[in-house]
Amino acid sequence: METNGLWDKISPQLRQAEKLAGSATYFGEMVYQFSRRKTAAAGLVAVIILVLISALGPVISDRQYDYQNLAHVNTPLMLDTVEIDGQYYYITSNMKVTQVSPEGELLNTLERVGDDSVQKRFSFEISGNVYYLNYKYNPPRLESGDGTVLSKSRLFFNKTYPLGSDSLGRDIFIRLIYGMRISLTVAFIATLVNLLIGVLYGCAAGYAGGGADMVMMRVVDMISSIPLTLYVILIMVLFNNGGFISIVLALGFVYWVDMARVVRGQILSLKQQDFILAAKTMGSGSGYILRRHLIANAVGPIIVTATMQIPAAIFTEAFMSFIGLGVTAPMASLGTMCSDALEGLRSAPYQLAIPAAAICVIMFAFNFVGDGLRDAFDPHMRK
Amino acid sequence: MFFYILKRLGLMAVTLFMVLLLTFLLMHAIPGGPYSAGKRLPPAVMEAIEAKYHLNDPLAAQFFDFLKRIVRLDFGPSFKYEGMSVNELIAKGFPVSATLGVFSMLFVLAVGIPLGVFAAVKKGKWQDAGVTFLTTLGVTIPSFVTATVLLYFLAFKLGWFPIFGADSLKGYILPMLALSGYSLAYITRLTRSSLLDVLRSDYIRSARVKGLSEGKVIARHGMRNALIPVVTVVGPLFAGLLMGSFVVERIFAMPGMGRFFVQSITNRDYTAIVGFTIFYAAVLVTLVFVVDILYCVIDPRIKLER
Repeated sequence: METNGLWDKISPQLRQAEKLAGSATYFGEMVYQFSRRKTAAAGLVAVIILVLISALGPVISDRQYDYQNLAHVNTPLMLDTVEIDGQYYYITSNMKVTQVSPEGELLNTLERVGDDSVQKRFSFEISGNVYYLNYKYNPPRLESGDGTVLSKSRLFFNKTYPLGSDSLGRDIFIRLIYGMRISLTVAFIATLVNLLIGVLYGCAAGYAGGGADMVMMRVVDMISSIPLTLYVILIMVLFNNGGFISIVLALGFVYWVDMARVVRGQILSLKQQDFILAAKTMGSGSGYILRRHLIANAVGPIIVTATMQIPAAIFTEAFMSFIGLGVTAPMASLGTMCSDALEGLRSAPYQLAIPAAAICVIMFAFNFVGDGLRDAFDPHMRK
Repeated sequence: MFFYILKRLGLMAVTLFMVLLLTFLLMHAIPGGPYSAGKRLPPAVMEAIEAKYHLNDPLAAQFFDFLKRIVRLDFGPSFKYEGMSVNELIAKGFPVSATLGVFSMLFVLAVGIPLGVFAAVKKGKWQDAGVTFLTTLGVTIPSFVTATVLLYFLAFKLGWFPIFGADSLKGYILPMLALSGYSLAYITRLTRSSLLDVLRSDYIRSARVKGLSEGKVIARHGMRNALIPVVTVVGPLFAGLLMGSFVVERIFAMPGMGRFFVQSITNRDYTAIVGFTIFYAAVLVTLVFVVDILYCVIDPRIKLER
């Protein structure tokens, strides 16, 4: 009799496939939904890398953000050098000639022997022969003693300053790392403020309800009817521009209002529900209900709001530093780096491009993570 | 409706009062008075000056004087710009900032809404993905980055636009573009999502069943409701544009109020800081108020909810 194998025992693999998987936990589901989105996962990876780079910054290089060498001003990422007697020389933006090692490190700067202002040239002595730096032309060119122009011969990666140096001879790479540390610290503080003040305030207003809620929310309305930037400026002025500390204080004062609104809304709708009534009937105290039932159920929106606020805080810090209200020199913030680079934009655009790109990457990373979390926690938004 | 307006007016007054109080206390919290810097004055002269400017009055009395001055819209002389009053500074800078702000707002609305509608109509297609990508760029890239990139490529490299100044209308184009980035992306996103929401509703289906063309369905029936959320954010967005001009005016060296404000902060020009802050706060609070009232007029459902 032919049964087409219908009555055969199924293979172990198939039997395995028939088994029910354990039901997904809330957070398991969220992690799954989050990691399904490529941009969100990429954003998270970028955030982790940024945190690692900032944390390991001092290990990567022993230089500090205020390290300064006025002999090496405005050196770009790639050094365009002239070869003389097997040695390489780089013409700096302030009309000096610096020797470059074959590895691409900047060595000592040559002593200027003479200055012929009629011919518009400086003279230098290299191994006994005279060479001229002719600054009649732009860019200036190096000429040998008989006037023949020495052409650029080799490009080096700048080993001494991997991302170049700025107009004060500071290492952009190191300052970038320290700038990112500030951005990430601001992100951390904004989250902390949101979670502590914002959640507590929102809970208190939502749970108390009635007149207390009215007054508390009018305060929030008042704070938020004026852009937070204005408050931050006021607070910065109040603390006499104490640098980073005043930014932190300013963020702490005003950056929790959105969170307070979200949490209050959640609590208001949650506390109407029957399970809260049940908890109350069973004699649970307010603190217990808030902790175990209300906040626990609002944790999704809380996490999403906290993440969404991070780029805004980072942007505010960069914005304030850019207009000269943020961290004070010589500390490096991405905003101050951008603003410092503005004057030399024509000749050294990389000085602006590097910190600007860093800000964009940070903003993208946190925005993607925020979008991913929102989509994971909010089924309505899911595509 | 009447009570709603009254309530909002009250809130507005309280907000402004708080800003006044805050700025006033701020002036007092700063160590040193206006005459402590510079040449040491004999105690008798100092006392005379303090008496003349009521610097020894109780704090409450001084605050009352301050309030009286502000109500008369007199912000006093600038500390640092000699011979200039803060009112004059505002009068000089505000037209530039306001022009920039209005241009940007018009640009944002004229481009953002059609772009959002376009994305919503082409939902799920590559055009939609393209618009979403652009809006993501717009939301994430800070205005000072956009501004400098525009300045570098369009003004320095190509020379199409003047590098600084607000002498001609052409000088406003780059600042306007740089300033609008975020708001443009925001409006586009908002229009797209709200139109998509509206297009899902039953009355749109009825309109389609009636045999109306898709264009008519969207223009006549969809847009009316889809634009309501857009109207709500216009006030705060305009506020954001005014704030954003701090940076853009600095980069493009425009003689606007934002630049004066930032300069007054770096110069520690306290009277100017106070004057600008109050002026900004007043403008912004009024804008938000006007838009809220308009919103009520446009959408009758709001009245029932409140």
